[in-house]
Order: sequence, then structure tokens, then C-alpha cells
Amino acid sequence: MKNWRYIIYTFITAIAILFPFYTGTYLQHTASTILIYLSLALSWDMLLRAGQISFGIAGFFGIGGYAAALTHLRWGIDPFLSIILGGLAAFFIAFLLGLVVLHLRGLYFAIVTLAIAEIFRVIVRNLHSLTGGPEGSVLPSAIFNGDPSKVYWLVLTLAIITIIVSEVFQRTRIHFATTTIRNDELVAKSSGINIFKYLVFIFAITSALQGMIGASYTHQYAFVTPEETFHIHFTLLPIAMCLLGGMYTTIGPVVGALVLGTIADYLKLQLPYGHLLVYGIVIVVVILFVPKGIVGTIKEQLERRK
Amino acid sequence: MDNQRCGSFEYSTPLVYLGLKLISKLFHKKYQIAVTLVIGGVLLALWKPFVLIEGLQVAGLYAAIALPMALILGIVGIINLAHGDFMMLGAYLAYRFTVYTGADPLVAIFPVSLGLFLIGMATYRGTIKYMHGAPELIQLLLTFGIAIILQQLANLLWTSHPVSIHVGYASASATIGSFTFGTYGFVYVAAAILVFIGLFLFLRRTRIGQAALATGQNPIGAKLVGINIDRIYLLIFSISIALVGAMSVLFLTRHSIFPHVGGIFTLKSFCLAAMAGLGNLTGILWASLILGLAESFVKSFMGYAGWADIIFFLLIIVVIMVGSYRRRVT
Amino acid sequence: MKGKSVILIYVACTLILLVGFGGWAIAQRAPAGEPIKLGAVLPLADITGAQAAKAMRLAVKEINLKGGVLGRPLEVIVMDDEMKPATGATALDRLATVDKVDVFIGGMASGVHLGQIPTLKKHAKVTVWIGAASHKCEEAVGPDIDWYFHIHPWDYLQGESYREGWTAINKKYPHVKIDNWFVAYEEGAFGTASYKMSLDLYKDWIKIKGESFKSALLGGGDYRAVLRHAKEANPDVFLWLGYEADAMGFAVQAKEIGYVPPLFIGSPPGWPPGFGKSPLSEAVTLYGMWAPAIKEVSDVSKHFWEAYIKEYKEEPITYFCPLGYANVYVVTEAIKRAGTIEKAALISALKKTEYKSPMGEIITFSPSKIIKNQGIRKQKIIQYQGGEQQVIWPFEFATATLKYPFPSWERR
Repeated sequence: MKNWRYIIYTFITAIAILFPFYTGTYLQHTASTILIYLSLALSWDMLLRAGQISFGIAGFFGIGGYAAALTHLRWGIDPFLSIILGGLAAFFIAFLLGLVVLHLRGLYFAIVTLAIAEIFRVIVRNLHSLTGGPEGSVLPSAIFNGDPSKVYWLVLTLAIITIIVSEVFQRTRIHFATTTIRNDELVAKSSGINIFKYLVFIFAITSALQGMIGASYTHQYAFVTPEETFHIHFTLLPIAMCLLGGMYTTIGPVVGALVLGTIADYLKLQLPYGHLLVYGIVIVVVILFVPKGIVGTIKEQLERRK
Repeated sequence: MDNQRCGSFEYSTPLVYLGLKLISKLFHKKYQIAVTLVIGGVLLALWKPFVLIEGLQVAGLYAAIALPMALILGIVGIINLAHGDFMMLGAYLAYRFTVYTGADPLVAIFPVSLGLFLIGMATYRGTIKYMHGAPELIQLLLTFGIAIILQQLANLLWTSHPVSIHVGYASASATIGSFTFGTYGFVYVAAAILVFIGLFLFLRRTRIGQAALATGQNPIGAKLVGINIDRIYLLIFSISIALVGAMSVLFLTRHSIFPHVGGIFTLKSFCLAAMAGLGNLTGILWASLILGLAESFVKSFMGYAGWADIIFFLLIIVVIMVGSYRRRVT
Repeated sequence: MKGKSVILIYVACTLILLVGFGGWAIAQRAPAGEPIKLGAVLPLADITGAQAAKAMRLAVKEINLKGGVLGRPLEVIVMDDEMKPATGATALDRLATVDKVDVFIGGMASGVHLGQIPTLKKHAKVTVWIGAASHKCEEAVGPDIDWYFHIHPWDYLQGESYREGWTAINKKYPHVKIDNWFVAYEEGAFGTASYKMSLDLYKDWIKIKGESFKSALLGGGDYRAVLRHAKEANPDVFLWLGYEADAMGFAVQAKEIGYVPPLFIGSPPGWPPGFGKSPLSEAVTLYGMWAPAIKEVSDVSKHFWEAYIKEYKEEPITYFCPLGYANVYVVTEAIKRAGTIEKAALISALKKTEYKSPMGEIITFSPSKIIKNQGIRKQKIIQYQGGEQQVIWPFEFATATLKYPFPSWERR
């Protein structure tokens, strides 16, 4: 019975990998953008499963982006290696910060992560000699010279990595730990779970993913600036997609990203002058109909039918 | 002992006693912060008077806008991400009103507050009401969607080009000796204090206000004792939006407005509410004061204005961390 | 009853036939054949992009009424970049691969353009761009590109032109002092780049002191600290580099702290419509590419102004409006000169451009620091007088003389 799920996933993955062979440049480019937000949404959800809301996605996205750009510019490091370095930079910074702030809960943690992301942006903006200051830095060329299919495969690889990490978290004892922590920390503690250790670990890993995604974005467009690379929409949009699709699952953020991403693109082509308004209306209307997110509400309906 | 000294001794004893009592109170934990602030304020006034004046004015603006958000957060329990955008809407309505009638913009406070009260009611009834069973994050997403709608609506109706109104008194200034400073900014301080006192009296002294407080603390319990929590939520939400509307008129008199002007105020109000502790209205006043003064302080040093943002966010982190440490220890 | 409905049907049929025939006749006048397509990427949610798009459509309409280009109809397809680099780049992809446009036009923000440059290089289509002032974009384009034509002046070209302008003004009116400047610049890319540019370009000309501030557009709006520092420095010229949202604030707050510099210059990309109505605007100097007053000294400008208002019932607000109009005409005139849209021929035709623009000047292309084809190189010095923007320099477009020194805030 369970096997059909794997068949479907394999099929979808195959379609995704073969995507550039049957679509044009524009669709590949659009798909790359959606995949970036998909990965960010999924990484955000992974921390959410442990009960922690982060508003700092853009911060680690930007750290990864800048680390990749600067290592590539100054030390001539290969773009792929610089993407991994971007992830590592985000990992270590998140780890160290996590040790300090992961005692906070709820709204307080959220605000602090937002503050941290903004602090990163201001620091990067003010260190002119290192980062190029407010005007940023330009890379000599885009990765793969801008070939959209290769960029797409790069971003797809990162998305698949993120999905795999998410599934690993869902299927190992990490899932048990995070769910317990989220529901009741007292119970978790008495079950012997080291809450702090789990939180720091998940925070660091998800930040590393966000860093790598930021690095790939930087190489795709060949520039970094504090305003663009740390832009708040790298925090807001993934959260919106994850919430719309459904929290605490792998498939939820994926569905949310695909739905919101394609709707946004479709609207843009139909209504050049009002598409963002309709986008907001869509979010509000969908939420009113699916208050638990798309996947959550579907699951609820399925369970009711049983 | 002559008569004089006997008489003075009689009156002086209670005075001395009072004085000793006051001094001992000063060292009491609660007043330590207040005393430090007062001493700090005096020093600041002597060293950098403009920082005190302008920091105070800025703090007033932040507090006046953050208080309604804290009200919703504390009682209805949702983070209104469209908060600043309601203010933007109010400002535009006030602008249109002023342009249409040619009256002084401050006159617009009445129609705009009323208008925003109704808009708040409609928003609550139309959307937020249905969200009570949903996880808090979904409520966040809903208000985020509303924020986008408000911004885009403003953009479509009035374009992204900033508009402003010039009123002579908005640049009023006073000169004391060699110090020339703006006086209109104190309107924001007055507004913040008014809103605070108004809310305080409403919540503590009126039946509805007390019911609201009860609902905020324990919605299920409140329901059990017969409070119509749905009506309370509706009322509180609408009052909050109406207050924001009143503030928006004051905002319009001294600032340029454009569709995205509200975003930063949502952010700052959100941060202030977290800094103050959820549902703590008094804390908002203190938090705004600290932030307003800190911002002005950093900006007063030439060349460091670029770091003022960091001070803002660092302070938020420090206050939240200290607050949480206190909570864990006690 | 029956009779009436029969008559009604006859009338309806006649009307339909008339309309149909008339439409067919009009369509016969219009150019026929495969349209020549221009693909434009603009920030449609912003006033600059929205009006530029309208101005482009106006130009297209005018051109098609005169028979199109090379006998073919002209079409402009506009896509929104949402002020995001990724969206701007994707828009170019769509215009190239799905809409199959012949030429890329449009543009506004430098940050967005930085993200578009790899995509532009990938498609290597003839590009005539009206946006992006940051030299970082020029760096990103590089020296080897000959299909890239950039109309908007780079930031350093603007800086050089201001130097030329003030030197000329100071020569003509020696009492206008310009030795010491205080520059307040917004802390983002735009302000910082302009400030750094000034430091570099003006170092052997004037003395500059500067300080950054947070623009109201990005959440700031309290300039009193920086104005106080300016007051203390007591320069001959006070200049602020920011956005439209800062315009009112600087004037109001300068009045509030009692600061009256001899020369008060603002340099945002545009000005709020109500600013002129305020008494505080009098004698505020500004940098710009265009002011409505230019229609008095340029017939192209006058034609554009009147045609735009007639078509859209609104006034052009920012200089991107006439710039969008010019964008279309520069391209189509080059196509007519070349006689074809073939790339190499079009490139050499564009290089020979001499277009009299609605901003006043004649647009030609010549090399700038890195790229080969740079269009406009000079900005204008403008001043608010009597609520209207008047051009002070270049003297050939001047509509008024400089009012100096800046009058006190009180007696207005």
C-alpha cells in the first residue's frame, strides 16, 4: 500500500530533473526562483517542528550569499566550493548565536532572530572595505555563464538536499524529539530529551541550508548588496508559503511554494497592474477556507471521511 | 532650650521622618530604575539637550503607534501584521479629506478615527473572527495577507508617489538661549500619554474594559462567566484600529506618506511589544523611551548614524534576553 | 410591437455594419505585417515605471498612426520587475523566449539591473536602457559589449555635470559661494555611491563634509541630527541626497532647528506633487533631468507634455515619463535609419543617434568609462520658484535665474 507513494515521488523527481528538456528559458528561470523559495520554506518548517519560529531566514541567506561572493572574489574560490563555504559560514554563526538565544521561546525568539538578521545587514552595509558597503560587490560572471538549465539543476539539487534532510528529520528519533518539545517541554525534559541540544543542532543545520541557498542565488545573479541579499521578502515569502501549504510536514511547504509561486507568476502575466493585490486577496481567501494550511486541511478531511 | 527651638523640633521630627522614609524608598528595588532614568535624563539634558528633546518626541510617536498593537496582542491574542498599514490607510484618508475640504488636517481626526473603527470592525468580522481555532501562525499569515491588500490598494488608488501636506505649525519651534528646537513633536508625546491613560482607565475602570482584561488573560474562563468574548474581540480590535487612525492624522502633519510607509511601524511596534513583555502597556512607554533616546543618542555623534539601526536591534535583543533570564530564574 | 422590433433590428444591423466597415477602413490605414516588438521591463507598481510605461505606449500609438516602422506595426510589451532583481531577470527571459521581442528597453532601479545583466548577456539582444545610474552596473556590463546602449547618465557623469554647472554659475554670478559643502546622504546604495562619487570627483574643487541619514522611504525620516551637524559646520552649500519621501521632511526640520544655508540643494529622483505649493519650497535647488518648465524652451517637450495629458488625463510627474517616450523614439528612429532590425545594422544605426528629446537635450551615444554607448551625460540644475520648477543650468535650457541666497524660513 505504501509503495505507491514512492512511485509517485520518483515520478515527480524524474519530471523535475527532466524539466529543462521540455521547457524554455523563462519557465526554467521561474522554476528556479520557486525552488529557492521552496527550500527556504522547508528549512523554516524544520525549525518550526521544534516549536521555534524564526524571522531570520534572510539573515542566514545573506550570510551565505556574502560568504560565497567574497570568497569567490577575493580568493578565487570555485563557485561550487563557495556555495558550500556559504553554508558552513551560516552553520557556524547560527551555532554560536544559537547557544546564546535558543533559551528564548515563542515571540521572543522570533523577534530576536529578526533583530539578528537586521544586525547582519547593517554590519555588512557598514564594512565598506570588506563587503563593498551599501553598493555591494559585483561578481565577474554568473555561474555557468547564466545557462538557465544548469542553474535550474543546481537549485533543484539544493532543493532535493533540503527535502532529504527534512525527511531524515521526520523519520528518525529527531521527529519524536521535536514533536514532544513542541507540544510540551516538560514532558520532553522528563523523557530525557536534551531540548537545548536539539534546538541548537536544528537551528544550525537549517541556517546552513539557508546559507547555501543564498550562495546559489548570489552566483545566479552575480552580485551582492545589503539591501537585496538580506531583503525581508526572503523571510516573509517562505513563511507565507509554508503556512499556506501546511506546517510540520515536508509536503506542506513544497505544496505551498508551488501554489503561491505559480499563482504569483500567473497573476503577473494576466494583470500587469494589479497582480500583487490579487495575490494578497488569494492569501486571505485561501486561509479562510483552509485554516490549517492546504495539506493540513486535506489531511483533516481525509481523516473525517474515514 | 528656648521656645523657638522647641517649636521647630516639634515640626521637624515628622519632616525628618518623612525624609528618611523617602530616601529609604529610593534604594528600594522598584524605584532604582526610575531613579537611574531620572539622573540619566538630567545628565543628558546637560550634555546633549537635543537628544533628550528629540528622543522624547520620537519615543512618543513610537509609543502612540505601538500601544494599540499591544492592546490587540494582549487581549485578542493576535499579532496584527497589518498594523502599520492601517495607519497608512488612515493617513491617506486624512490626506484626501484635507484636500477635499480644505480644512486643517487635524480636523480629520474625527472622521478618520470613525472610518477606521468601521474598517476595523469589517476586517474583524470578515476575516479574523474565523481564525480563532486556527494556530497563531496562520493568524499571522492572515494579517500579512491583509497588509499586502492594504498596501496594493493604496498603490493602485493613489500611486507610489509620496504625498505630503504642509501646515505651518508642524515646523513650529522654540528658542531658548542658543537652542532652537522643534516643539510640534511634543504632540506625539502628548498623544502617547493620552492613549495610555485612556486605555488604562478604560481597562481598569469600565465594565467592558475589565471584561476585556479578563478575556485577554483567560478566554475560556471569561466565556464561562458569561462574557461575550466575540463582542469583546470585535470591540478591542476596532478600538485599536481607530486609535491607529487618530495617530495617522498626527503622522500626516509632519511626514510624507506613501503606500509602504506603514511597514516600518509594524516592525517597530512589534519589537516594542516584545520588549515590553506581552500585554504590558506600561512597558511600552518605557521601551519606546529607551529606544527613542538610544536612536537620537547614536545619531548625535557625527558619522555614526549608520550604526543607529544596530543599537535599536541590539537593545531589543538585550532587553528580551535579560527579561527571559529573569523569568527563568524567578 | 412587431413593427417596432423590426425597425430596431434594422437600426442595429446598420449600426453594426457601419462600425464594422469603419473599423475595417481604419485598420486598412494601420501598418500591416509582422509587428516589430520592443520588450520593456519596468517597475509598474512605482510611479516612475507606471508613467514610463504609459509614455512608451503613447510613443507607440503616435508612431503607428504615422504608419509604423518600416511599414510594420510597432508593439511594446511591458513586464513588471516588481523592484526585484530576480523578477526583472525572469521578465527579460520571457520577453526574449516567449514574446520574441527584437529589442530590450526600459529599466529604472540600479539594484534590479545588476541582477538583469547576466540575463542580458545571455540573450545578447540590442538593449537600449533608460534606468540604472550606479557605476556598479557599468562594471558588471564590461567593456566588450557593443549591443548595450545606456541612456541614463551614470552617477559619476552626473557628478561631473554638477561640477561643470556650479562652476559656470559661479563664473557668471561670482557672489554665489560654493567653496564649502555639507552633504547629507541616505545610507543605502544610492546615497552612499553618490557621496563617494562626489568625494572623488570634487576633491580638487571644493571642500566636502558629509554624514549619512536613514531615508524616510526606508523607515527613517528624522534628519534633525544631521541638520544640526550641518548647521555647526556652516557650509556655503547644503546638499541632501535621498528620495522623494525626504523632500518635505528636510525643509520642515531645517526650519524647525532654524538652519538657513546660503544654498539649499536636494537631490532625490523626484519631488512630491504638493511640495511646490508649500512656502518652504521657495528657492530650494534641485538636481534633475527634466522639469515641466522645459516645455517653454523645447517644442518636443511641449508636444510630449500636451500629448501625454490629453491621452492619460494626468501630468507627467518624474523624468522617467519623458525618458520612456524618448526610449521608444531612439530605437525606432535607429531602425528606420538602418532599414532593418538586423542586429549589426541596428547597432551601427543606433551609434549615429541624434534624437531631440523631451528632456531638452539631443541624445547621442559616446563611450563612458567602461561601456561604449552612453547616452545622456549631463543633468540639470533646477530651482523651485513661485511653486514651479525652473531650470537654472544648462543656460541653453534655462527658464529662470538662480535665486540666491536662500531666504529665511520665516518670512515667506
